[in-house]
Amino acid sequence: MKQFSKIFFYFICLFLLIWIAPWCYAFFSAKNDTPLLTLYSSVHKGFLNITRGDTNGSYWCDDNNVVFSREEADSLLPFFYIRQLITDNRFPDSICGRAFTPHEVNNTNFTFYSNPNLINANTVKLYPLLESQSKRVDLVMPSDVFRTTDDGIEFIDMESNSIEAEKSAKFTKVMLDKGFSFPAKQLSGNPSTRKEYDEGYLVLDSENKLFHLKQVVGRPYVRSIDIPLDIEISNVFITEFRSRRILGLLCDSQHKVYVLNSDYSISLVDIPSFDPIKESMTIYGNILDWTIIIKKDNAYEYYAINADDYSLIAEKTRPIDNNSVFGLHFTSNTDKYVYPRF
Amino acid sequence: MIYYKEWIKTRWFLLLLFLSSNGFAGYAVLRIFRVVELKGAAHLWEVGIIKDSVFIESTMQFVPLIAGILLAIVQFAPEMYHKCLKLTLHLPCSHSKMIFSMLKFGLLAVISCFFVNLLILFFGLQQVFAHELYWHIILTALPWFLAGIAAYLLTSWVVLEPSWLYRILFIAISMMLIRIYFISPYPEAYNGFLPYLTVFTFLLGSLSWISVSHFKKGKQF
Repeated sequence: MKQFSKIFFYFICLFLLIWIAPWCYAFFSAKNDTPLLTLYSSVHKGFLNITRGDTNGSYWCDDNNVVFSREEADSLLPFFYIRQLITDNRFPDSICGRAFTPHEVNNTNFTFYSNPNLINANTVKLYPLLESQSKRVDLVMPSDVFRTTDDGIEFIDMESNSIEAEKSAKFTKVMLDKGFSFPAKQLSGNPSTRKEYDEGYLVLDSENKLFHLKQVVGRPYVRSIDIPLDIEISNVFITEFRSRRILGLLCDSQHKVYVLNSDYSISLVDIPSFDPIKESMTIYGNILDWTIIIKKDNAYEYYAINADDYSLIAEKTRPIDNNSVFGLHFTSNTDKYVYPRF
Repeated sequence: MIYYKEWIKTRWFLLLLFLSSNGFAGYAVLRIFRVVELKGAAHLWEVGIIKDSVFIESTMQFVPLIAGILLAIVQFAPEMYHKCLKLTLHLPCSHSKMIFSMLKFGLLAVISCFFVNLLILFFGLQQVFAHELYWHIILTALPWFLAGIAAYLLTSWVVLEPSWLYRILFIAISMMLIRIYFISPYPEAYNGFLPYLTVFTFLLGSLSWISVSHFKKGKQF
């Protein structure tokens, strides 16, 4: 026993040393290396970066280090700074030869964010399904939530904590009729009333077939979405952007990204790869272009995509100055699990 | 016999521990019932599902930890102060068996107390939530209870140590080890790690033997 307790004590000391020492180093040597913001400018035909100045805050410059004043940056990024341009009465009649109204621009601007730690987490597998045509101005949270089981979909009334047998049977029947295989493997929805409309959920069934599920006037709306046979969808993201032009984003097992259009057709986004399980992605979209920022292990990748056909306009990479040291960690930026890892 | 001695020594504290920790567990459940009365169950479900809240962390998170530390102090501090441990170790019985019987008594006491805490939470939450939600809360709370067991074993280790120099070192190590149980604020973050953490927690009991060895050698500094 004496021997074991001594060995265990030394093991604990070693274990704490390789955990705490790198943590202390990282804590005291921390420096702010996060890039502020990079956006593609269709006006400038290139990327513009917010850069930290040595003394007087931050400023916009392009990849050739040409510095722009605040007002110049507003004009080079008219979709991003639309509110400022309207306030200053400087919103142009046309941008890149095309006339846009401020309403049109506001309607098509969007931001999308995907972080692996939102995917790699243990969440409650209960989902509120909003009424998508409530005939009221505002959306209302439902009084029930649903789960999917091996046999079907079950709606549970939250006040009484009991299953709504009739509604569950109705939805299960329609889903089975549409070819849905229970249980659902993945669901993506945005159960919130702080949005303009509701598109319910994009659902991957147990056979990896993609479906669109929503509630319309109390009735189930289930639509099977045809995906080409050579594409194996691995992750789905519902978008619910104001423009209603697209329904969601899809990733396949080859880490290709697709746009699911509102007519249920899919279009390939011309970027090399994005793995939502390991990498984060931010998209700043407007009516002309999307700036896609992907954070990989060792670099930030920036892509400018044509908003009409999702073809690549420009790309660049910014290496990450990785100053992390070898050691034991219990948590990670890419998941919400706790376990020891090197 | 040793169990009886421990029982005589700690019985009033154990009663207090049992009442207060279960009081906290009951209060955590009653707070949930109160919100159900005031705002309706649907509100709580939404907060639990969308905001990923587990509701009981402000009431329960550190209760097992404090319970474990206090029990170890109540059980072993008088032994060390009145030098009773010396007498115990002079009994015609294996030293390790005596020490581990004392630890076993304390462990059984905290585990049974925590078990009742969990039963109160389980049956209380079951009245309001679907199984996905109440298991989400219980699984999130399990590392806190493991921290309570670890706190009991580590505090025993520290209190049994006769040398203040080692005691300070052991306190520092114990604090770092306890940090592992509270490292993530996310619900169910420990699910995959829980079996290994449980084994590790119980192995912490072996550390007390280092203190007892120091005591037997008569280390003072």
